[in-house]
Amino acid sequence: MLAKLKRNFKQELDPWSGSTLFLALIILAPLLTVAIGLGDTGPKWEHLKSTVLFGYVSNTIILSLSVVILATLFAVPSAWLVTAYEFPGRGLFSWALALPLAIPTYVAAFVYYQFPEAAIPLLVYIRSAWGIDAFQTAETLLRYGLLATFMAAVLYPYIYLSARASFSQQRRQVIEAAQTLGRSPRSVFLSIALPLSRPALAAGIGLVVMEVINDYGAVHFFGVPTLTEGIFRTWFGLADRSSALRLAGFIMVVVFAILLLEKTTRGRARFAEPSNSALPIRRRRLKGLPALASSMTCLIPLTLGFLFPAAQLLIWTSQTFSRVFRADFIHHLLNSLLLAFATALVLTALSLLIAYTVKLRPGKWLRGIVGISALGYSIPGAVVAVGVMVSLGNVDRLNASWLKTEDGPKLLLSGTLTAIGFAYIVRFLAVSLQPLQSGLRRVCGSLDEASRTLGVGPAKTLCKINIPLLKGTLIAAFTLVFVDILKELPLTMILRPANFETMATTAFSLAKEGRIRECAVPSFIILITGAIGLGLINRFLKIESP
Amino acid sequence: MSCEHSHIKSVYLTKANDLANITKMKLFSKIVLAAILANLATLVSGDEITLYSHRHYDSDRDLYAAFTKKSGIKVNVVKASADELIERLKAEGENSKADILMTVDAGRLQRAKAAGLLQSIESKVLKDRIPASYRDPENQWFGLSVRARVIVYAADRVKPSELSTYENLASPSWRGRLLARSSSNIYNQSIMASIIAQHGVNDARDWAAAVRGNMARPPQGNDRDQIRAVAAGLGDAALVNTYYVGLLINSSNAKDREIGNSVSLFFPNQKDRGTPVNVSGAGIAKASKNPEGAIKFLEFLASKEAQSTFPQATYEYPVSTDVPWSNLQKTWGEFKPDTLNLGMLGELNEAAATVFNESGWE
Repeated sequence: MLAKLKRNFKQELDPWSGSTLFLALIILAPLLTVAIGLGDTGPKWEHLKSTVLFGYVSNTIILSLSVVILATLFAVPSAWLVTAYEFPGRGLFSWALALPLAIPTYVAAFVYYQFPEAAIPLLVYIRSAWGIDAFQTAETLLRYGLLATFMAAVLYPYIYLSARASFSQQRRQVIEAAQTLGRSPRSVFLSIALPLSRPALAAGIGLVVMEVINDYGAVHFFGVPTLTEGIFRTWFGLADRSSALRLAGFIMVVVFAILLLEKTTRGRARFAEPSNSALPIRRRRLKGLPALASSMTCLIPLTLGFLFPAAQLLIWTSQTFSRVFRADFIHHLLNSLLLAFATALVLTALSLLIAYTVKLRPGKWLRGIVGISALGYSIPGAVVAVGVMVSLGNVDRLNASWLKTEDGPKLLLSGTLTAIGFAYIVRFLAVSLQPLQSGLRRVCGSLDEASRTLGVGPAKTLCKINIPLLKGTLIAAFTLVFVDILKELPLTMILRPANFETMATTAFSLAKEGRIRECAVPSFIILITGAIGLGLINRFLKIESP
Repeated sequence: MSCEHSHIKSVYLTKANDLANITKMKLFSKIVLAAILANLATLVSGDEITLYSHRHYDSDRDLYAAFTKKSGIKVNVVKASADELIERLKAEGENSKADILMTVDAGRLQRAKAAGLLQSIESKVLKDRIPASYRDPENQWFGLSVRARVIVYAADRVKPSELSTYENLASPSWRGRLLARSSSNIYNQSIMASIIAQHGVNDARDWAAAVRGNMARPPQGNDRDQIRAVAAGLGDAALVNTYYVGLLINSSNAKDREIGNSVSLFFPNQKDRGTPVNVSGAGIAKASKNPEGAIKFLEFLASKEAQSTFPQATYEYPVSTDVPWSNLQKTWGEFKPDTLNLGMLGELNEAAATVFNESGWE
């Protein structure tokens, strides 16, 4: 048994899988540092179980479910409409619906927090008319509802993008056959397009759930403590690191279970269809009321998730721009862009290597380790940061003892840009890996296998076949990671070198000082940069399709 | 695909590659440069200090610039929450670049001390300038500005007779009228620590449960949001630090100024132990490579020049007694501060968080 395992392992070890394994293990190291404490029962575990744990879990589940439901309602109908129909504004909506990706949930929270404030007179009226209990119910419903709505409004693009990609790759023949056989448009959508897109939808929903679980700012601001907030309360308030890490591990396990469940229910079915043999769906032109309804269906999520926050931020920016936009601000802006660009580039390249190797060497060992090393996305940024800090601290200690001279120079990693870059890679590997893995399956199909059967080496096949075919996906993966890094807050806060500010940390500092209007300037820049990035994705994807 | 398309593509790809290489090189050279600079700095010691700070005020930057101008010592700042900075200090160990840990409450400083992250220092200036109750008996940390946590209320809805102590907020007459932020907030934890110190864990738990039951809405937002909610009539009284009222009254936003001016401020427990106070303060990191520079920095912050900026810029109280309060602070009036040793806030912090969880105050 052991010998067999050993043999399997040896067979899988060649330069490709070797380097990928090495990379995956380095990325895994900080996560292992976190996971190492999982076995210990912290001194406060029983206390947590008997008091607040249930609240954290139920808040997390309720919020995740409501955000997923709302986000799916925002994303799926609009994705289908822009793919299958022609109506006023379709071309614009098709790409603009991805724009809310440019808005971090904590920025959306600043913008939307004015609504519970504006609703205070209404709540005061409810209290005077119906008493305290009605007032408290109304307040809770309003707050939960608002939180779930704006989170869904900025997170739905994860579902929208994968749904749209999947819809547009479905074969025209299948859809048209169904139409010829007398199926109504609704039935075509519900019984063919939607089931065919299940893997894509599941991937998008998975990302939304992880974002919700991960959010710290918005839930804290709106008074809905989820598991992530529980981690910090346990760690810092109760000074019980073991129990806090147990909560983090608990989240990792749940996310892993969701991913696994999705894979097993999908079974062996391969939904992927090589797009080169598929003609895109011919869009049907809508007129009158259906056309108007379609435009509205797309306009609502776009307004909630982008137009309204962007307009509000623009107004605030115009009021405070001159106060915030000084020389050091420009410096912080360049820091932000450069760091995000360089890290996204490295991360996309690593993800391509990893995704390609996994396809090249479909063994369980490698797949498993890669799967686990991508879990950094499922645990809160601050926890990843602590894992990275502890790992790099140990490396530095080794380093310092090796290079020890009389107080001589040491090259330390802690507190450098390398540390932050590495942490981003640990945190966001899944963001670029997932599209590349599904892209390799979907777009490249068995073309690369054919190439290798014809005697072309894996490296040459990657360069000649996969990379050209995947160019759109690569740019998309790069941009997604770039925008995510630009928005990233907790990890950047903890790990950054001295005097180093990004747009996100600048926004946070201003918000912390209660200068919400000033905070709009860096927030708006994050938003605009993200929007431009998304515009670029759209452009290059267009160039690619003939 | 047309020839033209592939041409555009190849041009784009080449350009993208070039750009990528340049950017990579820039980042790489930046990292190398940073490493070299860091090493140079340790060689030419004494010309800079690194501050790990929880404080986020713009005015602090001016203060640090004034210090640099005076002493020639450059101040590098890493800003994050105290808890995160403590974890970072632990992880970095003796390789840490930090010289000073600065927090916004004494409890966290005490925790850093307990974790062995700070060092004792001798400074006559600090001893003379800072009253003993606002610094660590073993000279590991020093308070630099004082904060009082008080009750802010709407004068038209709260009778003066209803206001007396924190303990009294548990009375049923407050049902549906109180506002406070979450129990994960360190200021609330320190209030709770002071109540545990006074009454013990069991009474403190009952108190927290009763106060939570009296809240108009579940805890949310920050101290400013509680003041806004009082002004808007959502609740009648809120637990906040005084300087938030000052920040609102002096805000650049007219609506905030109106809100700040519309609420009243009450110092609780004046007839018994006094109003609970806390400090924002700092200690010198054990790993500090430049403790002399760090001591100079703390001595500067305790100086009359620096102390006199706190009442004006952040509406915190000065820690030294020879500095005048701002006019706004004078209108709030003199008050008797609780004499509880501030180190106790750190020692009872864990108990406070536990009691909050048990009481249902989220």
